[in-house]
Amino acid sequence: MTSVELFAWLTLGFPLAGMLAVALGARKLPGRSPAYVATGAMALSFASAVATLISLQGLGEEHRQVRAVAWDYAKTAGVDAQLSLLVDPLSVFMILVVAGVSTLIHVYSIAYLDSDRGYTRFFAYLNFFVFSMLLLVLAGNFVMLIVGWAFVGAASYMLISFWYRRTTATNAGIKAFIINVVGDVGLVLGTYFIFRHTGSLDFLATFEGIKEDFASNDPDLVAGCILLLVGAFAKSAQVPLHTWLPDAMEGPTPVSALIHAATMVTAGVYLIARMHPLFELAPTAADVGAVIGCLTLLIAGTIAIAATDLKRVIAYSTMSQIGYMIMAVSAGAYAAGLFHLMTHAFFKALLFMAAGSIIAAMAGQQSLDKMGGFKKAMPFTYGCMVIGGLALAGIPPFSGFFSKDEILLLIGDRGGWYWGLYVAGYAGAFLTGVYTFRMIFRAFWGAPVPEALELEEGHIHHPEVHANPATGEVEDTDVGFPGPEHHIAERETSMKVAMGTLAFLTIVGGLLQIPKVTHVIDRFLEPSFHESALFEREPSGGLIGFGLIIGTVVGLAGIGLAYVIWVKNPGMSERIRERSRGLHTFLVNTWYFDELIDFTVVRPAQWLGSFAQQTFERVFVNGLLVGGATGIVRAGSSAVRAAQTGFLRYYAALLVAGMAGVIFYFLLAS
Amino acid sequence: MTLHLSIMLWIPLALGVAGLLLPAKLAPKLALGGTLLVLGYAITYVVDFQSSAGALQYVTDETWIAELGISYALGLDGLNLFLVLLTAILWFACTLWSTFWTPEHAADNPRLYYFHLGLAQTSVLGALLAQDLALFVVFFDLMLVPFFFLTGIWGGARRVQATMKLVIYTLVGSLLMLTAAVATGVLAAEGTDKVSFAFSDLAERSLGSSTQNWLFLAFAAAFLVKMPAFPFHGWMPDGYKAMPLPVLALFSGVLSKVAAYGFLRISLPFFPDASEHFQTLMLLIALASILYGSVMAFTTTHVRLILGYSSIAQLGFIVLGIFALNAQGAQGAILQAFNHGLVVAPAFFVVALLSARAGGSEDIRDMGGIATRAPVLTTLFLVVTFATLAMPGSSNFVGEFLILLGVFETKMTIAIIASSGVVLAAAYALRLFIRSVHNRTGPRVEASEMSMRDGLVLVPLVLAIIAIALYPQFALQRSEPTVTSLSAPPPAAQAEAVVPPGFEIERAP
Repeated sequence: MTSVELFAWLTLGFPLAGMLAVALGARKLPGRSPAYVATGAMALSFASAVATLISLQGLGEEHRQVRAVAWDYAKTAGVDAQLSLLVDPLSVFMILVVAGVSTLIHVYSIAYLDSDRGYTRFFAYLNFFVFSMLLLVLAGNFVMLIVGWAFVGAASYMLISFWYRRTTATNAGIKAFIINVVGDVGLVLGTYFIFRHTGSLDFLATFEGIKEDFASNDPDLVAGCILLLVGAFAKSAQVPLHTWLPDAMEGPTPVSALIHAATMVTAGVYLIARMHPLFELAPTAADVGAVIGCLTLLIAGTIAIAATDLKRVIAYSTMSQIGYMIMAVSAGAYAAGLFHLMTHAFFKALLFMAAGSIIAAMAGQQSLDKMGGFKKAMPFTYGCMVIGGLALAGIPPFSGFFSKDEILLLIGDRGGWYWGLYVAGYAGAFLTGVYTFRMIFRAFWGAPVPEALELEEGHIHHPEVHANPATGEVEDTDVGFPGPEHHIAERETSMKVAMGTLAFLTIVGGLLQIPKVTHVIDRFLEPSFHESALFEREPSGGLIGFGLIIGTVVGLAGIGLAYVIWVKNPGMSERIRERSRGLHTFLVNTWYFDELIDFTVVRPAQWLGSFAQQTFERVFVNGLLVGGATGIVRAGSSAVRAAQTGFLRYYAALLVAGMAGVIFYFLLAS
Repeated sequence: MTLHLSIMLWIPLALGVAGLLLPAKLAPKLALGGTLLVLGYAITYVVDFQSSAGALQYVTDETWIAELGISYALGLDGLNLFLVLLTAILWFACTLWSTFWTPEHAADNPRLYYFHLGLAQTSVLGALLAQDLALFVVFFDLMLVPFFFLTGIWGGARRVQATMKLVIYTLVGSLLMLTAAVATGVLAAEGTDKVSFAFSDLAERSLGSSTQNWLFLAFAAAFLVKMPAFPFHGWMPDGYKAMPLPVLALFSGVLSKVAAYGFLRISLPFFPDASEHFQTLMLLIALASILYGSVMAFTTTHVRLILGYSSIAQLGFIVLGIFALNAQGAQGAILQAFNHGLVVAPAFFVVALLSARAGGSEDIRDMGGIATRAPVLTTLFLVVTFATLAMPGSSNFVGEFLILLGVFETKMTIAIIASSGVVLAAAYALRLFIRSVHNRTGPRVEASEMSMRDGLVLVPLVLAIIAIALYPQFALQRSEPTVTSLSAPPPAAQAEAVVPPGFEIERAP
């Protein structure tokens, strides 16, 4: 085993070992020790990731795609699935981001989750999540990718439903899980379409022969890539499969920071980048990805402006930012998309951590309507929120500025209809400035709310009776609800360390890749994209200067508008709301996506179920098919009774269904 | 070393008879010892099995009734090896469970109870090991007898009606099968000097295609009822509600697989033209089972029925794989048969534990909120749930992946529709999990952790699920040679193909 392989396995192994240690030792680990075990495992994992990086860089450029095989997993009947990893610059880039940010979030959680009675369980889940995510990005073939993909979904489910006594949390969990399974199925079917031609599930083998196996825009390849996109959209919360992400904010805030901002939701971006040889041969599918990403960034931006739940505002902004990344990698701006993935992980985790701090000060309350004036009470949190906000809004020299503008530069540079995406990207940037600073102004500026005044005097507000802020339902304080004590960054070293580190990375992270100046990410990723024509493109000089200026102006304009509406003229937002009530209702109801899915998918399924349950099963199966005379007699009488009592329409429906079945049979048989 | 299959086959019955004659308190111990011995044998077979060989191993072949051409032939190959292992594992677990399971009638005559368990195991093993059609039919029909008594005597409310329904249904199927079996032996013998029911002889003889068609349908009826598949599942709801839980776990875990195995062992090799002819019909029945079972499992609130309907859906996947009529589908089906048994039995065990904590109710509306007090039980249940919904990473996923891939290669539309069953499975499995252990504590719930004794049954089963999830190749490599030689390729493909027909991946130009 070479050192690259060894360190890659170790990166993957430490979180798994950490999870097992925490879970099996649950009863024996006192106080905060489960957190130390889990965090230690993560630190070791990050160290291994760094070691993987160093040993990979030690190889020649053409050898930087290493396949590490453990054993045959399902190698039969033409299927060649092994338990294998693919270690190359792309996956190493991902494990560095994932393990690095995860370690910081573990550090933050040590204090933040303290006093929660699910403390141990939380860290076991968190370790399991990181293991799954690392497996996803290190997977060396389609089957392992799908396994990691699904494990991530399962871990996300467990963490969203972490406070499982809350019905809102369990409902959000099942929703997230099922939409993610839809994505898994998309991946599986997409894999079938590709495997049909390539005859291999291994990534490197697939990519190597791809040009011989497929012509450009081969229908099977386009179908396969679009199905892969379904997986990417489900995991990365792109329309119309995004509805689980806002609900996922039911989970503890560190979970939102880790899974629903920095890591899991970026899996779709990684997937497209990983599959770039396929997408480059199927430009139609790539265009679908770019358009959906663009739509998502606009839709999410508009919803974020109307949302009043602090965490949901950030969640919609995550959706929107991932829209940028999906658009980027679909349009061939791989390095730029991945660069934005990294900077976004820094500043979005930072924003969520700051939000967690203020939510703790509010004793679990997340509504912006109830917040205000925390600037003085929470200076550290405020500082972090502003740094994160400026990066998100794309103001130089913060990291988000460089990464977002590079995406738009490269897209604009492709010309043609990509100009539409380019313009939409800047429109989205304007919205980003507005909603980000709306959030900051509403939470930190203005007159201090009672909780903020209490904190200024040195007390954190703790309610007498714990209630679910979302529903008002009184909590079952036994266990499985947020702990009675709350922890803010101003008081906890571990939270400060995590947030401070991320704030620093948010400020300097952008310097890795400045147009015409530094190309660290480009150079590093090159071996993974060596055969890509799109990777090599350089934006033209004129566009660079123009883009950098317009990016700054648009971001500042958004912030300025937010200042005018929410600070300068109190009451203006109400007036705007009054005047455009229809639009406001539309945005508050998040474009009615939930209702649409409910109406088209959930209700028909339930209706079918109750029809099968109440009518079909009773009358048809039990009545007609029970052998013997009694069955026939009973069926006859029940048919008569049914006809009398208005069941006739069900029979009509049954008849139609039967005929449809027969027709379907002949269609398939033909 | 020769390992006699007959020893393993008859141990359970022999000890069951011994238990009838000895003092009552010895009966459970004898039965447990017997299942442990069988388990030991089965593990030995799996380890000792020659993975590279496709032919039968450990063959026993004696003439039984020479005049009728019936022989006492037993053997193991890739098709039945892991089903035998499954039978051994589940019988041990469920017998152990029976020793402390206390329903209303448990006190009634333990000797008879364990005798029937033993008889049932022998008949199941017999049906799996038989290499003679007549022998298979005898054992297959014999399976019904112990389950008739186990349900009728030790079952829950409405057990009499349930038993009658079960018997009527399966009897119709069995009679059809008996007739068809006799006809197969006789008709296949035309042009040869003597009637024979031995599989090895039948494999060399061929039947006309119209004959094959009706024989195929008769066998299919028996198998589909036993599984059950939609729309032959009329007996299932009542039967599942009435059976004692350990017996139900065996029934759902093992007996349904024997039926699926029947397709692979009998229908495909002996009626190849008919299998081809009815392929679409069988695939549609499987598809209907998947969708119907899933939707029903999603809407019912009775825990046993959730598992019952989910079994219909899972069996649908297995049939789907078998009638993909290619190696991937068959490999997936065999693996999935093992997986499903391994998952559904612990699920029924968990259901028993949950029901005991919900004041005896088996309705999910009465459950909930026990995760706090029973973290270990919840964790084990979570693993079982994830395996049930075939989450990637579980061996069930590998099974479904191969099945759907096999179908995808032949009938793409059906594979794509069937894949929606995967999403539905996530919905019903997670719904069961959340409603029974999460949310607020149910009205009559008294939460408590499971005992060490419960752990003895549950933990090994969960460990087995995890082990096969990590290394499904262990099963796949043992079944591959048999599956490859089993091939029932379409006549057209037979002409073109060079090496094992129909089984290599076709690369499109």
